[in-house]
Amino acid sequence: MFKIFLFSEIRYALRQPMVYIFFILFTLLVFGATVSDNIQIGGAVGNVYRNAPHVITIFTTVLTIFGLLMATAFFNNAALRDFNNGFNEILFSTPINKSGFFFGRFFGALFLATIPLLGVFLGVLMGSVLGPAFGWVDADRFGSFYLATFINNYCLFILPNMFIAGSIIFSLSAKWKNTVVAFVGALIIIIGYIVSGELMSDLESETIAAISDVFGIRTYSLYAKYFTPIEKNTLSPTFSGLLLINRIIWILVAVVILAISYLSFSFQEKNKRAKKDKKDKVEKSITFKLPEFQASFNSATNWVQFKSFFRINFFSITKSVTFKILFLFAAILLITDLVGGFEYFGLQAYPLTYKMIDLIAGSTIFILIILVFFSGELIWRDRESKINEVIDATSHATFISLSAKALSLISITTLIHFSFVIVGILYQLGNGFTRIEISLYILDFIYFNLPNYIVWSGIMVLIQTLVNNKYLGYFASILIIFIWSLIMLALDIQSNMLAIGGGPNVTYSDMNGFGPAEMGAHWFNAYWILIALICLLLAGALYNRGAGSSILNRIKHINQQLTKGYASAIWATLAVWLILAGFVFYNTQILNTYKTSDQSEDIQVEYEKTYKKYEKVPLPKIIDAKYFIDIYPYKRDVFVKANFKINNQTNQAIDSIHFNIDSKWQPEFDIPNATLVLEDKKLEYLIYKLDVPMRPGDTIDIEIKTKYITKGFKNNTGNTNIVNNGTFLNNFEILPSLGYNKSKELNDKNDRKKHGLKPKDRMPELQQECSCSCMANYLTDGSSDFLNVETIISTSPDQIAIAPGSLMKEWKENGRNYFHYKVDHPSQNFFSFTSATFEVAKRKWNDVDIEVYYDEKHKVNVDMMLDAVERSLAYYTKEFGPYYHNQCRIIEFPRYASFAQAFPGTMPYSESMGFIINLEDENDNNIIDAVIAHEIAHQWWAHQVIGAEMQGSTMMSESFAEYSSLMTMKSIAKTPMKMRDFIKYDHNRYLRGRGSETEKELPLYKVENQMYIHYGKGSVILYALQDYIGENKVNTAMRAFLEEYRYEKPPYPTSLDFLKYLEPQVPDSLTYLINDWFKEITLYDNRVKRANYSLQDNGKYLVSMDVESYKIKADTIGNETKVDMNDWIDIGVFADSDEEELMFQKRVKINQPQMTFTFEVDTIPAKAAIDPRMLLIDRVYDDNTKSLSLNE
Amino acid sequence: MNKLQINGLSKTYANGVKALANVSIEIENGMFGLLGPNGAGKSSLMRTLATLQQADSGSALLNDIDIYNQPSELRKVLGYLPQEFGVYPKITAAQLLDHLCILKGVSKNKERKELVDYLLNKVNLYDKRNKSVKGFSGGMKQRIGIAQALIGNPKLIIVDEPTAGLDPGERNRFYNLLADVGNEVIVILSTHIVDDVRELCTKMAIMNLGEIIYHGAPQDAISDLRGRVFQKAVAREELPQYAENYTIISNKMVGGQPLIHVLSETTLNNGFEEVTPNLEDVFFSKINTSAVLV
Repeated sequence: MFKIFLFSEIRYALRQPMVYIFFILFTLLVFGATVSDNIQIGGAVGNVYRNAPHVITIFTTVLTIFGLLMATAFFNNAALRDFNNGFNEILFSTPINKSGFFFGRFFGALFLATIPLLGVFLGVLMGSVLGPAFGWVDADRFGSFYLATFINNYCLFILPNMFIAGSIIFSLSAKWKNTVVAFVGALIIIIGYIVSGELMSDLESETIAAISDVFGIRTYSLYAKYFTPIEKNTLSPTFSGLLLINRIIWILVAVVILAISYLSFSFQEKNKRAKKDKKDKVEKSITFKLPEFQASFNSATNWVQFKSFFRINFFSITKSVTFKILFLFAAILLITDLVGGFEYFGLQAYPLTYKMIDLIAGSTIFILIILVFFSGELIWRDRESKINEVIDATSHATFISLSAKALSLISITTLIHFSFVIVGILYQLGNGFTRIEISLYILDFIYFNLPNYIVWSGIMVLIQTLVNNKYLGYFASILIIFIWSLIMLALDIQSNMLAIGGGPNVTYSDMNGFGPAEMGAHWFNAYWILIALICLLLAGALYNRGAGSSILNRIKHINQQLTKGYASAIWATLAVWLILAGFVFYNTQILNTYKTSDQSEDIQVEYEKTYKKYEKVPLPKIIDAKYFIDIYPYKRDVFVKANFKINNQTNQAIDSIHFNIDSKWQPEFDIPNATLVLEDKKLEYLIYKLDVPMRPGDTIDIEIKTKYITKGFKNNTGNTNIVNNGTFLNNFEILPSLGYNKSKELNDKNDRKKHGLKPKDRMPELQQECSCSCMANYLTDGSSDFLNVETIISTSPDQIAIAPGSLMKEWKENGRNYFHYKVDHPSQNFFSFTSATFEVAKRKWNDVDIEVYYDEKHKVNVDMMLDAVERSLAYYTKEFGPYYHNQCRIIEFPRYASFAQAFPGTMPYSESMGFIINLEDENDNNIIDAVIAHEIAHQWWAHQVIGAEMQGSTMMSESFAEYSSLMTMKSIAKTPMKMRDFIKYDHNRYLRGRGSETEKELPLYKVENQMYIHYGKGSVILYALQDYIGENKVNTAMRAFLEEYRYEKPPYPTSLDFLKYLEPQVPDSLTYLINDWFKEITLYDNRVKRANYSLQDNGKYLVSMDVESYKIKADTIGNETKVDMNDWIDIGVFADSDEEELMFQKRVKINQPQMTFTFEVDTIPAKAAIDPRMLLIDRVYDDNTKSLSLNE
Repeated sequence: MNKLQINGLSKTYANGVKALANVSIEIENGMFGLLGPNGAGKSSLMRTLATLQQADSGSALLNDIDIYNQPSELRKVLGYLPQEFGVYPKITAAQLLDHLCILKGVSKNKERKELVDYLLNKVNLYDKRNKSVKGFSGGMKQRIGIAQALIGNPKLIIVDEPTAGLDPGERNRFYNLLADVGNEVIVILSTHIVDDVRELCTKMAIMNLGEIIYHGAPQDAISDLRGRVFQKAVAREELPQYAENYTIISNKMVGGQPLIHVLSETTLNNGFEEVTPNLEDVFFSKINTSAVLV
């Protein structure tokens, strides 16, 4: 009996197109992702193969989410087919047995549901054969296949996920006999998945997230979190660890659900609940008369009809259970998001209104899905209620009824949106945050959400009208939502005029409001709303009024439906839209051009191919600079004049000067006695030939003028550096650079290969003897060394403009504010120019003016910032040497970028990072302190000494700054364990970063501007180093190094120069550290295997622990080898299980993989640990601690 | 006096079924019965007249309204009850009728309220006006359907198989309602129940396989057959033999024995007796002349 149902289920489905459609869809999707450069899911970049087991696993896991939709279809169908066909009463009265029917159907559907996902495998296989064969992808982008990848993925993800989802959906369908309930079930599963994901946003709760993930997707990502490229290329997911636990738990849950469903399943129909009619009240007899009236049809009738249609449709949605459930889930999702808060390095940001808005915007996709569902419901409602013929035969314009439906949909989204707003406001109030910007909530809705909902409502109404089947309509809508943007991406079309509902991204900033994109966004909104209207008008003309007829038929007979007025309305709307489209096109494609990613890639290639030959031409250096900058913040225009003295410091004559320009800044050159001999506008390269060549040592004065004029609006956000309030520019951006610009070259090695370019070194090789290769530093790249700079900068009368240096003079002229700044000491030619309406907080420390320029809304952390500046200056001047500027400024800029940056004595700092973080709890990590300390440290490490343009140089600026920052943190840390809370983020940054390395990981002393190495690993290693050899030893080495190179002319130092100062400070017993940590890639694999304690006769406790320890060397792509160990590592004991009090610690020599240690402690110990303060880099740190058990 | 002129309507469905084959007919005020077996094309004709379906060729005019080119004009004077009349869920009888009144141009709130109450009373559902229509029995729903077809002074009322599912009492009430309005306007009533037509209609047409095979007054059709219909109770086994020798127009079981009606130009003896023809005989004689045994 089981077999009969099983096979009949399968046979039935195999005769239907659905299973094939889904299978082909998945195959094509994965095939496309495997062979296309533009579509990238799975992370096959750099050294990771397109068909790496890791990539296949990501494909599989991600697509099981989509598989859920198919599972719903198959399982729901299996459970309900007989009921829907009205066959149940016949079937269930035959002598079939329950288990055969129930499980036969279930497993049949399960088998079917897994078939489409096999398309993933076929897609990859096809891609790896056809990709190289047709030359779409290089053959060396593919590695070997492993059978285990397929088998394990099928058994770990595809089958279990379909089983779990299936058991829930099948049970719901069998119980409620309702398709909608089945879809709601699918939704619940997705919500559960998302909610569990909210947990993963923090390092602390990863494990819970991994276990609670119903699909096991995040379990796998946690498992593969620190995978190196080589591991991604070779390792398949395995039946072990958290993944196995997760799978077992969820399969058991599914089995229980299925069992309950089976036990409560019955062939007999439940007695339908019959509501007893309430006794009708006896009413007074009323006389009824036929009223005298004249049916009238005019514009007033249209309006009344519209209202009536709207009422009927709107309430039909709000009353529906589906809506209530969807709404509830969207709200739960939002609340889960809110409960997660705005985490930032373990801290919380204040719940600003714009944060709420961003969060609510995260629900957009959910609201679109609600739109998809109800667009189908509304359009098909009359037909499903079988009242369509009556309604259709009444005299109303189809457009009226359709636009009422569209308005109902829009109203629903409005309703949901404002409920979310209320949730957001309650959350803000609940957190004691009172700066609630109601007007921002409302404007954000009107400007950016409402138009989007209008557009999609119009489009979906049209889709459902054109397509002759509701479910086909759903499918088409979903496809358009998700696939459209992928298609645009694949075709390299970036115009927002073709991205449904598209427009420039608007980011709200407390400083600058909706910002530069606002105007463009409004025009795009108008453009899209008209499209929605056209969609509705077309739908009105093509609506299937009456008996079903095919779309072709309807188009053929469109004239009969169109009245003259209606047709002219369509034409008129189309005409207005065309004018608008022309205007938008003019602004976004002609007035303001942009390059698509393929175009800019081509230009990069051509630039390199054409001008690489000039890379080594001798160029003069700027030795003195004077900037005149006029900022017009409200027009968003900037005018720049730069006077440079340039000097020939080479030993040969220079007969021409090469410039790399940015034509958006329209540069004009005034170079005495020179002729323009090459002007390449496309590749933006100029050559001026000097009539009289510069001999070595010669100096000439040149003047360069540039201007940025804002015109109309752009396709994308537009320039976010020149804005009404919070302009932030630097000299590299606003002025042409000297000579060939290497940073314009294409970087990705696979892209280079595709374009026939030779592999590129990210940085010149580190050299011991480098007198001539060390003449340029990595920041100014040879265009200048330390020099004097003056700036005269003007802005609007309500703003303050700031450039690095001391303020020499301040005046008003022509109704504008002028400022004259001059640096106190020759500095790097790396200058920021900012202008905004600022509040200023000042403090004096020794002779230095500490200043914080901030927006009036953001004063809460300003005092703390002043403290941080003071503390940093105090520590650095004491440990490293004097500070050479008379001022130390922090300047807030809008949140279009999220970083802080150090210019001489001047540090712009994004509003999103420090100014809005809640630092009321003093026990938390103080990230502001850390960032400020880091930037101020750059005043020494980067501004006083900077490495040559060579491997390893960023270690001396970024790693040193990070280390310095950690030391100031350490100086105020209350317990040693406090620092571990902080440093674990650095460990994570490094370990994650090396997993996504696209070329090769290098040891610290050869870092090639890789952030995960110079920030993450650099800080971990230097922090550990000061712990091993002593803080003052490290500082001594750094100070001595600084003293030799401070503000010195080239040659610039290299990391080897620093190591020369470090080595003498390291005791002989620890010299291996230099090699292990700086010159090689070394990881540790430490764990406590067993730990217990016993009470001694002397009242003390004897702790005994077995530890296991390996030292591992990794090569540049992550191949690991275990090496012999003879290292010092800490062991210790915590007094509490929260690992806050380290009661005992001892540094021991580890020279065996397995070792046992015993020692006495005074009070009851809770946990034993190896490397308790997380000094060493260990991919799995959790097993380094173990709760101690009592030995009786 | 309203006049509906149908000229040469033809419609063939995509699957090749000929639903209307050159249908021409003229209808004036009063009840017009459209008889025909299942699948005869009645519903196609009615849907076409109700502007819900396009014919391939031909035209139809109500007074001076061209149904195809001025569908919205026709809809203003149309009352239509389709074969299958469903209702929205979660809406009361009064709300549904109110909505439909609006769609039929009754825009003033007060008038509409009165009209809805009047109609609900007419179809005996006033007591249930605030109940959800979805929960109504088939008959009650049908009554709502009738009420809505009467909204707004229609000149043309089309009702497609309206009495299916009604009990005899409801059926009578329904016919009374139609009869009330039937003198002033054109009412087209399609049915396969012969008695309905006989009781109600002054004019009728019989359709089969998309064609009008008879058009006229029911009484004329009956008179036409007078003296030509004979009946006989026969044994089951003898049926084939009778079929060969006579033109059987109908054959039904009476008291467990087939009773056949036979059409004959000459008087028949050998057990046959002459009967007064009824409309059923007309119906069967028109559609079943080839004497297929049922």
